[in-house]
Parts: sequence; C-alpha cells; structure tokens
Amino acid sequence: MKRVLAVAANTFRETVRERALYNLVFFALLMTVSGLVLQQLSIRQDEKILKDVGLAAMDLFGTAIALLIGTGLVSKEIERRSLYPLLAKPITRAEFFLGKFAGLVFTLLVNLAAMTVGLLLTLLLTGRRADPLLFAAVYPMFLGLVLVVAFAMLFSTVGSSSTLAAVFTFGMVIASRFADVVRNIRQVAPGVPQWLVDALYALLPNGANFDFKGRVAYGDSVPLGVLAWVTAYAVSYVAVVLGIGLSAFQSRDFQ
Amino acid sequence: MRRYAPLLLLLFAPLVPASQQRIDGRLGSYRAQQEVLYFWSGEHVRRLFPGYEGLAADIYWLRTVQYFGGQRLFAQGARFELLLPLIEITTTLDPRLEIAYRYGAIFLSEPPPTGAGRAQDGIALMERGVQRLPRSWRLRQDLGFFHFLYRHDAASASAVLEQAARIPGAPFWLHSLAADILNKGGDRAASRRMWQQIYEQAEEGVLRENARARLRLLDSLDLADAVGGRVAEYERRTGRRPARLEELRAAGLWKGPLTDAAAVPFSYDEGSGKVTIARQSPMWRPE
Repeated sequence: MKRVLAVAANTFRETVRERALYNLVFFALLMTVSGLVLQQLSIRQDEKILKDVGLAAMDLFGTAIALLIGTGLVSKEIERRSLYPLLAKPITRAEFFLGKFAGLVFTLLVNLAAMTVGLLLTLLLTGRRADPLLFAAVYPMFLGLVLVVAFAMLFSTVGSSSTLAAVFTFGMVIASRFADVVRNIRQVAPGVPQWLVDALYALLPNGANFDFKGRVAYGDSVPLGVLAWVTAYAVSYVAVVLGIGLSAFQSRDFQ
Repeated sequence: MRRYAPLLLLLFAPLVPASQQRIDGRLGSYRAQQEVLYFWSGEHVRRLFPGYEGLAADIYWLRTVQYFGGQRLFAQGARFELLLPLIEITTTLDPRLEIAYRYGAIFLSEPPPTGAGRAQDGIALMERGVQRLPRSWRLRQDLGFFHFLYRHDAASASAVLEQAARIPGAPFWLHSLAADILNKGGDRAASRRMWQQIYEQAEEGVLRENARARLRLLDSLDLADAVGGRVAEYERRTGRRPARLEELRAAGLWKGPLTDAAAVPFSYDEGSGKVTIARQSPMWRPE
C-alpha cells in the first residue's frame, strides 16, 4: 500500500507539472466565467445558464484531462523506456499500475474541486447562492471521469501508442454517451437480435448514469439512493476495467 | 516598394469602411443569422451534444433571442423564418426550458413588425410546453391568454384558464378571469386584464415592453371609441357628421387629445363616422 501511495504521489506531482493540465483548467474556468457574459445576452434563466455552462465546462475539460493525461500515464513510460528501470525496483507491476491510476484520480479530484470553487465563486459574485446541490452533479461526474481514466489506462496498456489509446478511449466516451441509442436500436434497425442489443447495453458503460447536470441546473435534488447505486455501478465497472488492464499489464512482455 | 507602402495605406484604408457601408446599405447591417442554421432538427442537435444538451439548449436559446432582436431591430423586411426552428431545437434540447415556450410563443405570435405573425405556431408551441410541463400554471395561463388574444376563442381560453387555476400555486383570480371571458365573450376589458398580467409577471425586457405597448394600444382603442361616440353625438345634434375631428372641440363635445398613445392623430372616416388608429402610427395593428 505504501508503495502504491508513493507511485500515486509521484504521478500527482508529474501530472500537475503538465502544461496541458493548466491550459485545460484555465479554459474550464474561462468558460465558467463566460457564463457571466452569456447570461447578459439571455432573457432570464441567468442562474441556469451559469450552472449549465459551469458544469458542462467541468465535464468537458475533466474528460479531456482524464483522456489526454490518462492515456499517457503508462504508454509514455513504455515509449520512453522509463518503465524498465522502475520495474527493476522492488515494486510489483500491480502496485505501479494502481499507483498511476490513483495519482491521476487525485489530480482529477483536485482539478474538479478547483473548478467547483470557480463556479461557486461565480455564483456568489453575481449575488446568487452557492448552491450545495451542485455537488449532486459534481460527485457522479467525478465517478464518470474515474471510469474514463480506467479505460484510458486499459487502452494504453493493451495498445502500442498513446495516440491509439486516446482514440479508443475517446470512442468509448462517445459510445457511453449513446447508451440509450444502443438500448433502442431495434426501433430503427429491427433486424438486430435482441440478445446482441442486451449484451451491448450491458457491456458498454452508460454515461447517462453520471450525468445529473440538467436536474441540478433546475434545482432538482438527486436522491441519495440513486447516488449510492451510481457509486456502486462506477466502483464495479472501474474494478472490472482496471482488472483487465492490470492483467494485460502484468502479462505484457516489455523486452 | 517601401516608398509605396504609406501610399497604399492612404489609398486603401478609407476604402475598407466605405465598402463596408455600401455592403451594409445593400444587404442590411444585420444578416449574420441568415445562413447560420445548419441543423433544422432538435433531435439531430441533441445527438451531436450527448451529455451537453442543457448547455446546447442555452446556446440555442441565446441564438433565438439574438436572432429575434436582430431581425426586429436591424434586418430589412424581417421575416423571422428561422425563429420557429430555433425555438423547436431549443425546446427539444431542453423540454423544461419554460422561458423558451413563453417568450418564444410571443415572438412567434405578435403581428409584424413586432413579431413573426404566426399565432398558430405560437399556440402550438405553447401547447407542446403545456404537455411537457403539466404542473406549470403560468404556461397554461399563457396558453389561455393566447387562445383569447390571438385566436379570439373565448370558450377555449376560458377552459384552459380554468385548468390553469386548478394547478397548485395558481393565483385565485384565474377562476374569475375564466368565468368573465366566458360570460362576456371577446371584450377589451378581458384583453386588458390579460396584458396587465403578462406585464406584471414579466421582467424588464422584450415581453414587458410588448405588454406595455399592448396596454397603450388598448388605451388608444378606448380613446378612439370615445371620440367615435362624440362623433355620433355631433351627428345627433347637427344632423351631419363633422368633416374633421377638430370640429368636436369647436362644438364643445371633446376636450382631450385627438391622438393615440404615440401622439399620432386618429384616422377619421367621415363617410362611416369611424375613428381608428392611423395606419402610419406605431400603435397600429392589423385587425
């Protein structure tokens, strides 16, 4: 555990040094603040627009961070061959893999917290309430991002380059957002066998499970029971994806 | 070449604003929206922004407001042809965006040049809104108002207002308004109450301005009717109609203004004795 935490801390330090991270956080905050301009152009709905823009910025840029940095975590180590001396040290591959994952998850947590503070400040500065309900959207969003990191690490371990890993992860993110289309695909393509639809729907991650932005922007609460099930779903899915990634990483021949 | 640079600058720099002015003169300074609607179906746009429908709805709503304002204020011969697709995309992306139904329906229903003059589309939009937000008494109240104000259908208006009155949180006066318009049919007092409500419920902006203008129009119509009554009185006394409205003053039958709320003199037809708002007045609306 100690060694996992050491790798995680090192990964956190490494990722916060990434220039891309600062650019993305900067743009996310800029987008949040741009809500101030957008609300001037609208008729009423000011607070909803601020929340919509702020939460969308968090989701969009959080996904970009998870994808861009996540896919490079392992594959860059392989490409630069910096992995070999690391594995020669008294650290197991599992500890290295999980440490990398935990480090990036912590980076995402810090970034998401910064962006949430940015949105709350924007709300406060415009004379509105720092709505605690926002956390009901931010928390599941974070779980969704953790899943993206897990997929990014899986693809970067299985594949040979970080670019390919990014393409596959991006594809998975997009597919997860269309889970409802998969479920209802027989409405437009009746020839598709039901078992295939059921299998695809069960296999693909469902991005809508982590998306409560619309509800929260309208001031609707999210029941704790729902959040608990979303957490269970995320934890199970992440465990499966990480498990596959870890097996691939452990069985991979780095000669 | 270096010697010619300032010369080129002097020659061509004034041409830039001058040519822009000419282009604006020909095409109108507001034309950016004319070709910008690439997607006409809300479902397609929704599929393009999975997970970001709320944000996309906000952006389309902003575009709707900007398009409406831009067309109204700057476009030559505003036709508002993108208004309905823009509103439909917005409400497909976010079916709970109540403001898009309320304001969108007004934008669509008001007669030109204020709006698109498509009251049927405005009412249809409002009906969709009522279906999607069945617990919103405001939306149902507006639908009732629209049936009365734009379709002149007192029975439907009364029925819808009665439904609105039964929704929790609705104001008590909706019951009496529903009963009033059913009893009196299409009278101006009911219109006035409705526009007064729209005025009071709207925040400062397009909707409020429009309601204010409508109330001023009703004032002007009342005034025109009152002057018309004096014309009839003049005829009763003298056996003939006045040639001009000023004769009412000379006869001591009228002391107030003979102009509408925009200070434009009323139009008077000696043949019929009818006093109306002049066509050149900004208050004028088609019957």
